Amino acid sequence: MATERQERTIQEVKDSDPVCDGQAGLKFVHVGADQAVAYITRLRDVQGYTHLVFFTAIDYIEDSIFRLTYMVHNYASRQDLGVQVDIPRQGATMESIHHLWPHAATYQRELKEMFGIDFPGSPGVDDSFILEGWTGIPPMRREFDTKLYSEQTYFPRPGRVTHDTAAYMKEKLYPSEAETW
Amino acid sequence: MVETVKYDPRSKFPPVDANSGKSVYNLLSGKYMKVWQGPQHPGITGNMSLELTVCGDEIIDCKTHVGYLHRGFEKLMERRRYIQCFPLVCRICVPEPDFNEYLFAEGTEELAGIEIPEKARWYRALTLEMARLASFLMWIGGQAAAFGMGTIGQWTVTMRDYVLDLFEELSGGRIYHMYIIPGGVRADLPAGFALRVEQTLAQIWKVLDDVELALMYNAVFKKRAMGLGVITPSIVDEYGITGPNARGSGIQRDIRKDNPYLVYDQLEFSIVTETGGDAYARTWVRLRETRQSIDLIRQMLEIMPTSGPFFQKLPNVLHWKIPGGQTYKKAECTRGEYGFFMVSDGTELPRRIYVRGPSYTHAVTLMEKLAVNVNIADTAGLMVSLHTYPPEIER
Amino acid sequence: MSLKDIIAPFSVWKRVFEKPYTNKKPIDTRPGAPRYRGFHVNDLDTCIGCGTCEEICQNVAIDMVPVRETRHGDSGLRPKMDYGRCCWCALCVDICPSGSLGMSNEYLWVDGDPEVFRFIPGHDEKSWNDSELGYRRAEGYDLLEGSRVPMPMLSVEESQKSFVEMVQGYSKEQAKAEADRCIACGICVATCPAHMQVPEYIKAIRDDDMVEGLRIVYQANPLPASCGRVCSHACEYVCAMKHKGEAISIRWLKRYIVDQIYLGEYSKILHECEPDNGKKVAIIGSGPGGLSAAYYLRLLGYAVTIYDANEKAGGMLRYGIPEYRLPYDQVEKDIEFIASLGVEFRQNARIGVDVDFLDIYGHNDAVFFSTGLSDPFGLDIAGEDLPGVVSGLDLLADVTHGKTPDIGSSVVVVGGGNVAMDAARTSRRYGAEVTILYRRREADMPADSEEIHEARGEGCEIVVQAIPLRIEKGTDTRLMLYWGKAEMVSDGPGKRPRPVLIEGSEEVIACDTVIPAIGQAADLTFLPQDIASRLVGKRGYVEVDEFHRTPVAKIYAGGDIANPKRDAISAIANGHSAAKGIDIYLGNFQD
Repeated sequence: MATERQERTIQEVKDSDPVCDGQAGLKFVHVGADQAVAYITRLRDVQGYTHLVFFTAIDYIEDSIFRLTYMVHNYASRQDLGVQVDIPRQGATMESIHHLWPHAATYQRELKEMFGIDFPGSPGVDDSFILEGWTGIPPMRREFDTKLYSEQTYFPRPGRVTHDTAAYMKEKLYPSEAETW
Repeated sequence: MVETVKYDPRSKFPPVDANSGKSVYNLLSGKYMKVWQGPQHPGITGNMSLELTVCGDEIIDCKTHVGYLHRGFEKLMERRRYIQCFPLVCRICVPEPDFNEYLFAEGTEELAGIEIPEKARWYRALTLEMARLASFLMWIGGQAAAFGMGTIGQWTVTMRDYVLDLFEELSGGRIYHMYIIPGGVRADLPAGFALRVEQTLAQIWKVLDDVELALMYNAVFKKRAMGLGVITPSIVDEYGITGPNARGSGIQRDIRKDNPYLVYDQLEFSIVTETGGDAYARTWVRLRETRQSIDLIRQMLEIMPTSGPFFQKLPNVLHWKIPGGQTYKKAECTRGEYGFFMVSDGTELPRRIYVRGPSYTHAVTLMEKLAVNVNIADTAGLMVSLHTYPPEIER
Repeated sequence: MSLKDIIAPFSVWKRVFEKPYTNKKPIDTRPGAPRYRGFHVNDLDTCIGCGTCEEICQNVAIDMVPVRETRHGDSGLRPKMDYGRCCWCALCVDICPSGSLGMSNEYLWVDGDPEVFRFIPGHDEKSWNDSELGYRRAEGYDLLEGSRVPMPMLSVEESQKSFVEMVQGYSKEQAKAEADRCIACGICVATCPAHMQVPEYIKAIRDDDMVEGLRIVYQANPLPASCGRVCSHACEYVCAMKHKGEAISIRWLKRYIVDQIYLGEYSKILHECEPDNGKKVAIIGSGPGGLSAAYYLRLLGYAVTIYDANEKAGGMLRYGIPEYRLPYDQVEKDIEFIASLGVEFRQNARIGVDVDFLDIYGHNDAVFFSTGLSDPFGLDIAGEDLPGVVSGLDLLADVTHGKTPDIGSSVVVVGGGNVAMDAARTSRRYGAEVTILYRRREADMPADSEEIHEARGEGCEIVVQAIPLRIEKGTDTRLMLYWGKAEMVSDGPGKRPRPVLIEGSEEVIACDTVIPAIGQAADLTFLPQDIASRLVGKRGYVEVDEFHRTPVAKIYAGGDIANPKRDAISAIANGHSAAKGIDIYLGNFQD
């Protein structure tokens, strides 16, 4: 997915009313970051995508981008449309859509906290949402290593030892045998 | 049905800012006070807390605080193989975990291009309806108890326990069933299961009659629930409201009808709506949907296939690589639209699994809006009437 | 508000008379449902300690700890559960390839000490250990695939007409599907005489990375094209998946890797030799043992010369295995790569006749010999020197040399090993009617079961519990073979029953050729008497230590003469160990 990233201009997507294919009733469309909010506004006000289902991000750390995904739904045509916007990871910022849907502010607050994506002007975007008192890097970023974090933060239960099957059998059955080197 | 609308003329509200729509008040004036409610369950809503600013006993501002149940499932799934996510997802929503199992399985199957057997589709639908039934029964208890009628809660929570007995028999677990697995389901129905389901359903049906008498035709409940937390149809889309919360305001929407999944296109049912938009109307919607679930379970047990496989062999799950792609799967749970957005990058581990829980909007943005004007004593009732489960907010 | 709203709630007062729902603990106990996922149970005798439960557990709740004795096919480890972490999902039960792990329906257990909630199911005494109830993997639901991807093969009708290779090899899709079945537990590694890293090269197939696959294979086996076809695959007998049905087709997956890469590509993929270190090693015998030693010694920078009595290198791989099982070009592929590294081959060089052993011994820093078992056992009955009696090995060698064997139209093969099957099936391909006589029962036959199955499929008649008595000249046919029936007599518990001739039972087969194939012995006459007497120990084996050093300085030995397993892969492993031993002995070893 990460490699085939085509961006369409707002004109291109505007001209073709996004019709979702198949029974799934689901389609994804990529737009440029500067045109996304205008496009989503049009989707909401003109094309009947009145329901913001969710708004989240995917971290493509290897490409240094966040892929924002706005999922909107059209109740009349019963279709879901995922509007995807790639923004650079470095200094990630995006226009807010809280004026379109008030609850978008909550999503944006979470994205700020979990991914470090800023939405200037979004109400309460800098307030902590879930992680009160968190000082580390935004934990949903892929460079945050949960295993390392838990090893540094918690103590393993004492007395736990395990054995790798193949290594243990070597130790028991052919410990000094001269085999592969 | 709406007899009184609860706009109490007693309070002298602080001025409302035209831009933000929020009250402007000065805490130091001594007229206002902050009250912290939670994070103990207010009713049966799960652990979250409300920071209330009150004037007398009326709420003029509400700020929600979540994070007491954050376990980082979405993050944890990034470093687990698909099969290892299976025991995790059910924990995102305690009272009806099956929606997580179902949507995760369905999404995985779609990304991997796996068709499940017909019987598994029926079993999944059966499990989902049983989960809806259990969740509603628990909710009735919460709604009644929030207004001081704990006895009703005892009846329905017992009934829920009988449904959990059925789940235990079917899947081996009472709360986390872990029954719907990618590829189908984990086991066939036990012998005589349909019979025991019917016995339980009949018992529940009778209890629901009593609940209606004791709750819906109860002057106390009516007095308190009517006019509480009114959702006008105009804000339904604006606030992303789904499920019974929207249907209580006369919005005819149900994913089971609008985007039928599994076998719902083969079942007879209609969308339950009420027009009041308040807590009372929502209670009616849910009570009638509880009966609808019973009816659907009966229909399914009648016509579902009894032979054939219930599981489609998967590639070796220990190193199952799923082709790159993304999908969004949704289903109608008791609280509204439950969804899984899944992205695969072609490796053994999922790239991103995002869980869309209906409480995300209901318990935060909507609650903050509806709490204004409400009497402190009614916050628990209001909260429960939105039917929220915090784990799906925090995931 | 209506009057009903005041009165209706009171109607439910009737519930006062109903029985309470609650259980009266501890008077009423409520057992878990028959499928309840409670505390684990484990049948320790069935469990093989493969660790797949630990592998799938996303909670890291399982440790593999030593409980039983480690044997081939059983690591001796058993799962120990930490119920502080277990989430009762039962995926460990679902994935368990031996089916030993289950869950009881017991869920009530209260204790103040958290440590007691960490135990080894089945080993530690628990009241539910014998519980029949509780979660088990349901019929019709399985996370693993028990059946093998079928190997495309020539039909037996086709195969008996020619020497075309029967096993046609997996396609990419088939190989990947078969490789996908592997659970990578690694139990096979200990049993493979060469300890090949089987799970790793199978993973390379899944990843479609043949280059990596070849690299892994060559780390422990420089004859993979041959081994991928005729290896005795001890690994497959201990494969964890065998407990679910069929073992992973390890041998043919190895063959798949090798088949995907041209010989010309090898040098770009595999290790280069170290610079010459100026030391010389002589190797006697170019069978698998000799070739393996040569390859690994050459990699270390030794100048290696192989002396071999036959026209071409390969030993039994070439002269003892018919072409329909192992085509010569595949033996060639393995040998040519070894030759391309600079190993010198001296063919047609019989020690003691063409070359003097002491000469070799004197001019080299070390000598490794793996001359194999080339001296067939006789039947020890009257008439076995009549024309028309030819040993299995000689027949197979003749065919390799391109001679059409003079076997006539009917053949009796005596023996039940792989050589017997090879001789019988080769005779079939020359159009003879074939009867196989074997002294014991079919279950006792040392040949691979698939060989027996295929021999029968190709039309060889197998007569068991038959003891040859004497051979006479025939009238219509060249020979008459007289044989008697045997009955199996128990030699006490734990011992193999012994065939005993039933007196008076005598039958006769008219045939043109009798092929004894009842085993072979080492021929060490090429060695000077004083050395040979110091080398040979009990039961005719050459005595060696773990580095395959013999009691005589500088002399190393391996292969069939030095190990009782007597198969190609053991010989390869011997060659490898000897190479390391020689390297250590010559002081060149760097860890």
